[in-house]
Amino acid sequence: MAAVELRDVKKSFGSVKVIDRIDLVIEKGEFVAFVGPSGSGKSTLLRMIAGLETVTAGDILIDGQDVTFAEPSDRGIAMVFQSYALYPHMNVYDNIAFNLRLSRFGKPEIDARVKEAARILRLDELLARSPAQLSGGQRQRVAIGRAIVRNPKVFLFDEPLSNLDAALRVQMRLEIERLHRELGTTMIYVTHDQVEAMTLADRIVALDEGKIQQVGRPLELYARPGNQFVAGFIGSPKMNFLPGSVVSTSGASAVLSLDADRNAMFERVLDGARPGAAVTIGARPETLSVFTSAEEVSAGMLTLPARIETMERLGNITFAYLDIGAPEMITVQIMGFSELSDQQDVVLGLRPDQLHVFNASGAAMTGVANA
Amino acid sequence: MAVARSRSKLVWDGLSYVVLILLAFICIAPIAWTFLTSIKVESDIVTRTMHYIPPRVTFDNYVKLWNQSSYPILVINSLIVTSVTVLICLLTGTIAAYAFSRFSFKGRTQLMLGYLVVRMFPAVLMIIPLFIVMREVGLLDSTFGLAVAYTSFLLPLFVWMLKGFFDAAPRELESAARIDGSTRLGAMFRVVIPIARNGLLATCVFVAIAAWNEFLFALMLTTSQGSRTWPVGLQLMVGEFQLPWGMLAAGGMISILPVIVLFAFVQRAMVAGITAGAVKG
Repeated sequence: MAAVELRDVKKSFGSVKVIDRIDLVIEKGEFVAFVGPSGSGKSTLLRMIAGLETVTAGDILIDGQDVTFAEPSDRGIAMVFQSYALYPHMNVYDNIAFNLRLSRFGKPEIDARVKEAARILRLDELLARSPAQLSGGQRQRVAIGRAIVRNPKVFLFDEPLSNLDAALRVQMRLEIERLHRELGTTMIYVTHDQVEAMTLADRIVALDEGKIQQVGRPLELYARPGNQFVAGFIGSPKMNFLPGSVVSTSGASAVLSLDADRNAMFERVLDGARPGAAVTIGARPETLSVFTSAEEVSAGMLTLPARIETMERLGNITFAYLDIGAPEMITVQIMGFSELSDQQDVVLGLRPDQLHVFNASGAAMTGVANA
Repeated sequence: MAVARSRSKLVWDGLSYVVLILLAFICIAPIAWTFLTSIKVESDIVTRTMHYIPPRVTFDNYVKLWNQSSYPILVINSLIVTSVTVLICLLTGTIAAYAFSRFSFKGRTQLMLGYLVVRMFPAVLMIIPLFIVMREVGLLDSTFGLAVAYTSFLLPLFVWMLKGFFDAAPRELESAARIDGSTRLGAMFRVVIPIARNGLLATCVFVAIAAWNEFLFALMLTTSQGSRTWPVGLQLMVGEFQLPWGMLAAGGMISILPVIVLFAFVQRAMVAGITAGAVKG
């Protein structure tokens, strides 16, 4: 039985559609991340699962039970908010015990459960403190503690690490990962940070404009994005997009060219290619190479003349931003240190087998089915 | 340069002090004068030459006021009217303010504006229709009727003020409480009100002071001693042939005592309440 099931779920505010026909099955014990830019509807969808937002149409099932119209407290869920949402007038102990008291548990039971949660989250020393006396990371641990004492069927996380600084975020990420391993509970995690989604999730649900764009394992989304949105959203730095066109087709394979240089042609097996059709070619920054002269280029590579606009040197990695005469800069990721300099004329090398092809409506043409 | 700047600063500081002391004097002098009058012997009050400092100190005015006039009844009436007003505001206004703060419903803005419009009319304009209404429902000359009348113009103030404090309480806390097992109303009582309690206290104090000091409605809507409040009672002590200055002053002093006590008790909470939400906490 699925832990959470969404059936044709819709949500509108007046005439504005926020969530549009979402079907999704989340298995027991799975860690699923909802990712998408601001306004993609990911938080609204999570709040609908929590029961904090009404559902315009469709059904929500938790553990096989229809909870579409159930109160948040009757759904067997626990939620961790971005702002921690700790009750400022209660100390840590009371914050964690709040739900248990409302559920009329006995005092010894409450005490045992709070102490157990505190032990798991290393909050033992902080139980008597008020939220105001805690650091950001400690507050988030209390918020998680408040969620785990309930033994929920599903944990919901709404951008829980967004308010933390970078170092603490990594630490808390590991902590959430450990928690999932130890508790084995189903978790749904909303984030706009694709690094969090890639590292934590068993499956990622990429959302945009209230619709599911693609569902799949993190590396699946990375290697075989179903459309241009997912290709651009997953991966950092983001995928480069170059305009191109279909030159000719023969059977399932097609010859394509880049608009930046009509002579740069390559052959690929494509779905539904028509000669003359405009396409978008995607290239991940780490698959691109920069050469100082055409002689250095490896065999089989497509080349484009380019000029380096600027370089970003991070020590272990270097990013080069190249101008190829297109409106957008091309980002190239170079491992280690690079001797290249700004405003230098170079040759950009692309590996044809690593390129993604999208049709005019943004769908992947390289044979990627929606997982 | 530095000397010139420090001199001009000195002049500004001096001027500021003069203005502030003047303002403080204007505020405090009438109260001090009333107090001094209240401890004077009657013959020292109306004299050919003005005695600022009482030549003889006496508390007779207080004793006489308390024992020989109906003043204690007036104070008790005022206490009842004030308490009932605050209670009605607290019961209805808190829920109304919460609804205005949290729900978006048809006519919400218009209702809020309507509340403000009520405050814009002068009280005199309201008093005749209110008098007729009170007479029709048989609440004329009763402490409860007076409290209801006060509620008519104090409830909007209460709702507007409290809405601001509720707005400042983060919504995510209520969401958390609802997931933790509270109902909407439960979340309001367990989470929102405890957070906004300073604001709630401040709002109650404002309403209480306004109800305690109110004169015009009390004058029009009460006719007998059984429901009359202290401001009206004091005014009625002014007779055709006598003007008991000493007793009037004593009555005035006693009547400001509850206000002072109330302020002293809640000063800290009020300041915290009034400035809540002004800065990111």
